[in-house]
Amino acid sequence: MIQQVEPWVVLSFCAAIFFIGFAGVLIRRNILVVLMCIELMLNAVNLTFVTFSKELQHLGGQMSVLFIITVAAAESAVGLALVIAMFRTLRGVDTDQIRLLRE
Amino acid sequence: MEALTTIRPELLTLTDGQLQALMPYFLVFGGISLAIIASVLRSLKPKWPVFILGMLTTIAGICSASGLLGSQAGSELIFNGMMVSDAYSNFFNIVFLASAAFTLLSSFRYLDHEQLQHPEYYVLVLFSALGMMLMASALDLIVLFIALELMSLSVYVLVGFRRADRRCNEAAMKYFILGSAASAILLYGSALLYGMTGSTNIRDILAFVQAHPQGLPVVYVLGAWLVLVGFLFKVATVPFHMWMPDVYEGAPTPVTGFMTTGLKAAAFAAFVRVLISAGYGKGLVTAVQSHFHDILWVSAVLTMLVGNIVALTQVNLKRMLAYSSIAHSGYILVGMIAGPGSEQGYAPVVMYLVAYAVMNLGAFVVLTILAGRDDSGLNLQDLAGLSRRHPWLSFAMGVFMFSMAGIPPTAGFAAKYLLFYSAVQANEIPLVIIAVLCSAISVYYYLRVLVYIYMRDPAGSPAASRVSVWSLVAVSAMVVLTLQIGILPAKMVSAAKKAVTSL
Repeated sequence: MIQQVEPWVVLSFCAAIFFIGFAGVLIRRNILVVLMCIELMLNAVNLTFVTFSKELQHLGGQMSVLFIITVAAAESAVGLALVIAMFRTLRGVDTDQIRLLRE
Repeated sequence: MEALTTIRPELLTLTDGQLQALMPYFLVFGGISLAIIASVLRSLKPKWPVFILGMLTTIAGICSASGLLGSQAGSELIFNGMMVSDAYSNFFNIVFLASAAFTLLSSFRYLDHEQLQHPEYYVLVLFSALGMMLMASALDLIVLFIALELMSLSVYVLVGFRRADRRCNEAAMKYFILGSAASAILLYGSALLYGMTGSTNIRDILAFVQAHPQGLPVVYVLGAWLVLVGFLFKVATVPFHMWMPDVYEGAPTPVTGFMTTGLKAAAFAAFVRVLISAGYGKGLVTAVQSHFHDILWVSAVLTMLVGNIVALTQVNLKRMLAYSSIAHSGYILVGMIAGPGSEQGYAPVVMYLVAYAVMNLGAFVVLTILAGRDDSGLNLQDLAGLSRRHPWLSFAMGVFMFSMAGIPPTAGFAAKYLLFYSAVQANEIPLVIIAVLCSAISVYYYLRVLVYIYMRDPAGSPAASRVSVWSLVAVSAMVVLTLQIGILPAKMVSAAKKAVTSL
């Protein structure tokens, strides 16, 4: 017999991942790591949607995940392009170096 | 899992009414596709074809949306209730497309001068306008998220359009990181709302709230709270405003104008729809209602105070207008707080968004004309004695500054009057007093611009100006609109009232 995982366990796991990602966006200095943290947040949302979808027996949540994955891919493409553009002028990928605009 | 076994054919077809309601979106999307094709035909020297295609697209979209606004009686649900075409969405479609059209007009010469004349620019502006249109008509949180990302991703690229400039890159990167984090927060909130209500459709969420008058699950409140934070970030209210001045200063000037008008109006349009659907002022449990009311109240007061006070010390005009834009977000929040309690409902918010879009776009078109290479020469001293060089531009800037300060007979005054009046009706007296005081503070920094333009002697040699026919058309249209809404506001007020009836 297969033991079912309680939904609240998965949901708290998702919440933990989401806030780890959020804290990473705020704290980490390297922009590549920040981009990964944004992905982490979006994937935590995906997992939340799937869990609720299973619990509610409703397909809408799983459909949402497909759309979110697509958008996340577009977002990382734009993000990496911006990192490359920034690396060309700044010669670095640390958020510490973003200070021209801070007066 | 009923959806797996049955396929309902009525969900797969579009009726005539629905097709008609989708016309503005189809026209804009078709125009964008043609513009993409034209932009890869390098042998054509694509700047003219793409620019003209872009203008034609926006004009066709505006015509079709205003036709729908006139002919449509009720609201038309499209795609199984995921989108709606009603007076509200069509009204905002006109605003977004007009804002895109004027941005294109003012950018054409600017891009030539900055040697940025890539046809992608026009395509990106149009895509972002399409995202805004979908945002104002989305009835489903996932559709809303996709529309938001379509808009934001295009704008991230536009902000970083001057690739060789370090400030531009920094602004784009900052905007991208904070914007994506905010989108993720909004999405997590949507996921929690979905889990509690069993649907991502905002009408179903409203039905769920109204079916539970005695109490809501904690997770629902948390989800609504996260959605609220996501939107407050998108409209740049204090304490989520830190990105805005930097992004506005770093972005190319026409893009900044587009962001302050289109982006802000789109974020507020969706914000109002979602806030109402989360049950705000419409059957939300009293404790939760007052909790959200307090969040909005504190945020509105802080936004008005911080925006106006920090703007006092700014010498760069783009940065000053960024802080003024934050302050105006605060006024619009006042309208949203007052919405459920006054008889005009959310009409003042819509009216204010239009007035703000008109005057701010005008001010940014003037700045686009005056800006030197790499957007230099936009400090206050650089405007000294402008009235002798460009009397007409100085007059236009004067009209926009009077309008932003809220001095009659301009659009800003009419909109502010309506907004504060509705807040008084909703019995938010302390809020109105703070708003009026803040608006008095703002007169100082708006009129200081005029002091420099009219009463100071020019310092140094003037930068080469780049007045073009296109941007003069844009400035003149904005001056006429600002004065027209200010002198004869009744027409705009009734249009705004009609737009909010379908909410």
